[in-house]
Amino acid sequence: MVNYNLLSALLSLPVVGIFLSWIMPKTSQRIYAIFGSLVILAVSIYIALQAGDTPWDVKLVWLPELGLSLNLKWDSVSRWFVILNSLVAVLAFSLRGPWYRKNSRLFTALGFFLMFALNAAFLSNDVILFYLAYEAVFIPMIFMVGIWGSNAKATSVFRFFLMSFFGSVLMLVSMFALIYLFKEQSGQYSSSLPDLIQAASVKNGQALHWCFLGFFLAFAIKVPVFPFHGWLKEVYVNAPMPATLWMSAILSKLGVFGFLRFVLPIFPGLALENQGWILALSAVSILYAAFLAIRANSPKELLAYSSISHLGFVMLGVFSLSSGGASSAILLSIGHTLVSAMLFYGLHLVEERKDVSDLSVSHGLARVYPVLFTFMFIAVLGAVALPGTMNFVGEFLSLLHAFSASVPSVVVGALGVVLGAVYMLKFYQQLGFGEASGDQTVKDLGVYDIAVLSVLVLILIYFGFQPMLLLKGNG
Amino acid sequence: MDSFESLSLVSPWLVLAGGILATMMISVVRVSTKRPAQVFAILTLFLTLLCCLKNMPEGTQVLFNGAMEVSPLTTLALALLSVLGILFGFGSSRYLTKEKIHFSDYYHLLLILILGASILMCAKDLVVMFIALEVMSLPAYTLAGFRRNDARSNEAAIKYYITGGTLGAVFLLGASFVFGATGSTHLADIFLWSQGTTANFGLFYVGHVLLLIAFLFKVAAVPFHFWKPDVYEGAPTAVTGVMATVVTMAGFVVLARLLGMIDSARIEWVPYFESLKQLIRLVAVLSLVVGSAVVVTQKNLKRMLAYSSISHSGYLLLGLLAAMTKPELIYSVWIYLFGYSLMTCGLFLLISQSEPREDAGTELVDLTGLFKRSPFRTLLWTIFLLSMAGMPLTIGFFTKYFVFLSSLDAGEGIFAVVAAVCAVVGAYAYLRPIALMVMRDADPTAASFKTSFTGQLAVVISALGVVGWGIMPNLVIQILKGIALQH
Repeated sequence: MVNYNLLSALLSLPVVGIFLSWIMPKTSQRIYAIFGSLVILAVSIYIALQAGDTPWDVKLVWLPELGLSLNLKWDSVSRWFVILNSLVAVLAFSLRGPWYRKNSRLFTALGFFLMFALNAAFLSNDVILFYLAYEAVFIPMIFMVGIWGSNAKATSVFRFFLMSFFGSVLMLVSMFALIYLFKEQSGQYSSSLPDLIQAASVKNGQALHWCFLGFFLAFAIKVPVFPFHGWLKEVYVNAPMPATLWMSAILSKLGVFGFLRFVLPIFPGLALENQGWILALSAVSILYAAFLAIRANSPKELLAYSSISHLGFVMLGVFSLSSGGASSAILLSIGHTLVSAMLFYGLHLVEERKDVSDLSVSHGLARVYPVLFTFMFIAVLGAVALPGTMNFVGEFLSLLHAFSASVPSVVVGALGVVLGAVYMLKFYQQLGFGEASGDQTVKDLGVYDIAVLSVLVLILIYFGFQPMLLLKGNG
Repeated sequence: MDSFESLSLVSPWLVLAGGILATMMISVVRVSTKRPAQVFAILTLFLTLLCCLKNMPEGTQVLFNGAMEVSPLTTLALALLSVLGILFGFGSSRYLTKEKIHFSDYYHLLLILILGASILMCAKDLVVMFIALEVMSLPAYTLAGFRRNDARSNEAAIKYYITGGTLGAVFLLGASFVFGATGSTHLADIFLWSQGTTANFGLFYVGHVLLLIAFLFKVAAVPFHFWKPDVYEGAPTAVTGVMATVVTMAGFVVLARLLGMIDSARIEWVPYFESLKQLIRLVAVLSLVVGSAVVVTQKNLKRMLAYSSISHSGYLLLGLLAAMTKPELIYSVWIYLFGYSLMTCGLFLLISQSEPREDAGTELVDLTGLFKRSPFRTLLWTIFLLSMAGMPLTIGFFTKYFVFLSSLDAGEGIFAVVAAVCAVVGAYAYLRPIALMVMRDADPTAASFKTSFTGQLAVVISALGVVGWGIMPNLVIQILKGIALQH
């Protein structure tokens, strides 16, 4: 019961946060939101310490005759994503900008709603519950981009929403097919994951194949994997920075989580059957996105494409279909979350000081803001997966595990590591080096930003040297 | 059954009929005032609601020598119609004032419409069915033409009247064919006939299909939908809302009853039943595809909702199709009808309260920048539109959920996929107004919307219903599922 209360606190606290944000004064929303997300972060870390390596699995009946229940699971797959969710929220809430000037209450409320939906998605051990949470994530995203976004926000939101919704509706139909399959076998409805795994393990045939494709499409769009990445660039560029940070750092992990939690356990045989072309797609998306990133002419666009490229490595790890591959995918996901959060956070700090939307000219800001650009440099090194950072361990292990499955994919993927260095260094060079222009009146980083970024750097490097602490208890 | 017990069973209908007379008297006695008619109508509906809840029958009871049946479903449906009527009664008073519509006429026609629809749902005899159909339709024709000085309202009334009259004739023709084949207009007798023989099969086939077509017209399934957008657009918005909810609901209950007219379990009827399924499949897919595809192109909110209701008819037909294979799956249709009515009611109330100009309906562009002017109303719009799109945490998700589930259960998986794709297309259409409200700056020349407190309250209640039921779907679903099993 204690377990249940603790896990449900991860869902109920953000809801309390939503309501409190309408009571708190408009001007102190930022402090309140940071504090609130820190509390939730503390609760999730407390649970991690309490639970250790033992998985927690709790259940509360919700719609019994359909077998729908609030089935929450805390284990080695979900725990990191839940903790990262709160961490990312702290970072996103820390960004200053127009969202705290106009309709600030709405912004914090949407942020807490997003935390709620993401926690529900990461904790769910029931397909329908997962679907509900997965769809609910769209609602705050649409509004954030819609209200505080720039330029072509309407088109970008539509593309984002419709592509994702297309995938997820087909996934819903696949879920129904599995639920129906279970009903055929046992005579009652159930949408809980263990039941469906059992149902799918007995059954074989064409129908299951379509179900696999339904799930695959939904998560491949979410990650995204080439050629389902069409929505990503526009919405990253047009979204306000907190939304971009959220999307890149944690929403993309929903897809990774979906593969690890649902696709691989439910369809182990089909995953093996389709491993070849999925690994090939992942490798292509690493390379293709890297080329796009090199050609990109705004920093946000570059980081958007680099995100696709890095997630390609995660996909290689996931579809190496070994337990080591899965844990290296999780490790790399954590690393990517930290690094992309740092990069977008830093980029926002840069943009607060100077307009850097054009990457074709050098801005020479490193000389003016040495502290900020030191942190940016560490983040860039993390992104190019320098040894000593978590990303190095993650990428290395992912490639290693994928090697036994498909050599060509790994070779192509490894090329992506080199190209990654090209575009990340271009990013840093154009922002940091060259002749400084214009007047720089704003000061370098304040204490708060230094503290936040230092914590991220410490985590990134500490686990780069001690990856076993994260790998332990996985798979 | 003794007559007193049957009286208590039909008491909600009697109360409603009494209320109609009272409201009519009000309009005779004091023509100039407005409130008494509204108060009387709402009071009548409240009493009807209470009577329904008090006299909930246990199991299906056949009344009046088999001419009508009262079951938990019909009583519950009347209760829901009363709730909708109350919401419309509260919500549309400002609209009626603005459009200079006569209060007492409007309210007593509304009550007659609800009475007709609720009797239609109980009818077990083709003659009773026809009379109830006309009782429901005649007030609807009149209400559609209530804005007498508006050309489009007149057009709507005439179009509705002519199509309605035609379908009445089609229904009668079908009924006479069925009578010729089976020798009875009682559905119970026809059911017995179907168990004994397949003589006069051809005659019965034609008659049965004509009956179905008459009601497919009423629920505007493609290809019988062409009247709907014009009628929706031209009719006064408050009336359109009533038509969209009450008439659709009655239409589907009757369709379910007509499809269950013969004993489909008998081996000699199986091929016939399969051919009927084929008809329903065709109509369902056409409605889904045409409805969702055209809804994207619409610029007028009422026309948009007309096409949206066509696609909703498609989902409902999928539910019916599943129920033709496994009768207990009919609960998905009831759940859909209940959820759909609730969200449509709220949406039409919102439209009627948002119309900026007197002569034209609400265009999509009128919503531009609503968020800046009125965040709360934007929230209400968003709730209803997301529910229409089938997003989780609203009832719209669970209505679609059950239809998909029953389609798969009945072995119609491919139609679930078609419906899923149509849901995406539809979602785009429902997202557009939200985008306009939130992402654009307000047009400074746009009129500001004023609503009455009761009007706002009615919308808030239906919004709470949509969200509350979406979060805790258990209660209502248990009841409706129980009803479906009893049938």
